[in-house]
Amino acid sequence: MQVSDSQILDGVRAGDRKSFAKLLSICEDDSVRANHLISNLEKRTAHVVGITGSPGVGKSSIINAILDKSIDKKIGVIAIDPSSPFTGGSLLGDRIRMQSHATSKNFFIRSFASRGALGGLSPSIFETCDAFETFKVDAVFIETVGVGQSDVEIVNVADTVVVLISPDGGDEVQMMKAGLMEIADFFVINKADNPISKGLLSKLRNILEMWKKDVPIFLTNSITGEGIENLIKALDKRFSSILESGMLAQKRQKRVTSHAQSILRKKIDDILQNVKTDQLDLEEIQKEVMKEICGNL
Amino acid sequence: MIKVLIAKPGLDGHDRGAKIIARALRDAGMEVIYTGIRQTPDQIVQTAIDEDVDAIGISILSGAHMKLIPRILELLKENNSNVPIFVGGIISEEDADKMKKMGIIEIYGPGTPTSVVIEGIKGYFEHASV
Repeated sequence: MQVSDSQILDGVRAGDRKSFAKLLSICEDDSVRANHLISNLEKRTAHVVGITGSPGVGKSSIINAILDKSIDKKIGVIAIDPSSPFTGGSLLGDRIRMQSHATSKNFFIRSFASRGALGGLSPSIFETCDAFETFKVDAVFIETVGVGQSDVEIVNVADTVVVLISPDGGDEVQMMKAGLMEIADFFVINKADNPISKGLLSKLRNILEMWKKDVPIFLTNSITGEGIENLIKALDKRFSSILESGMLAQKRQKRVTSHAQSILRKKIDDILQNVKTDQLDLEEIQKEVMKEICGNL
Repeated sequence: MIKVLIAKPGLDGHDRGAKIIARALRDAGMEVIYTGIRQTPDQIVQTAIDEDVDAIGISILSGAHMKLIPRILELLKENNSNVPIFVGGIISEEDADKMKKMGIIEIYGPGTPTSVVIEGIKGYFEHASV
């Protein structure tokens, strides 16, 4: 069903969920239209928190536990799951852990397929985050795909990156690798009921000391809610501190660059799909693409 | 891209059918949201609206379909939504006829090949040309 721009704008301004849901679909399907719509809406800065970590570490569950204890806040959740590289299909199952909040008026949970984007996010992530700010949420939680060590794109999108580690995630060499472990603003050791958790905590402390990094570590249990309130308090505190220090403004400025990069990459992909490459060599393909780009200016 | 919500309302926990359908639709190139068992009609309808899905697939094996399906249709109507609904489960022919009259697009019984369900959903969108 086609919905006009003015219907969506009026609806989102009035806080209507259905209009907002349509706006999110437009973010996914037509980024040009989405950016146009968003630019016509008033935004309010929300704390964008990325939740990342390997599959099964408890990303959905911890977001659910945070929602359980945040009923007076307005929160958006962006849950991303992988698309099949073969069929393009996707099974979006993150919501299962959060379904008890499906009818909460203050929360808006939305599933996204990665649709070929690398790094654990969806191609429309920038538009989607902006859209949530037009819906006047206090915070947005992004759950990355969770393929693990290379899920680092989130650092270009989120104001705060929370890396989840589980007691069954391997030895300390895993923790010394580059990538995921470097991008954390907060570490969370989930599944605190597992006896290995305490050992993991001291290993992680040692490693951070070696790196001379002062990253807070939280021990949580999403099922009992243990440690969740501490985490929420620390997130809120960090948001006010980066807001005051100007770090948030800096991050947002960087995000504009990353957003532009993502739009340009998409354009190049589109061009590459339309250029007949079968007769061309490496140099010629690049020239064709450049010609197309310059023609589009 | 067709986005489908596969939902299981009511109290029965037999989710194999729903999972097989979710997987088959995924392999047919659709984006499938699976919300697990024991969903209320309110949860299903709110999820369908928030996720802006193109279709809802409901799996029911409990026998409570004549209570649950009308409630889901009612809630969708309250929300001015006309998302098409497909139903799968153990449903008598008599009830299937009644449900079709209520506006359910198709009802699939036990033993239906997944290809029939895929064609049913794809075919609906080709004809509706949305």
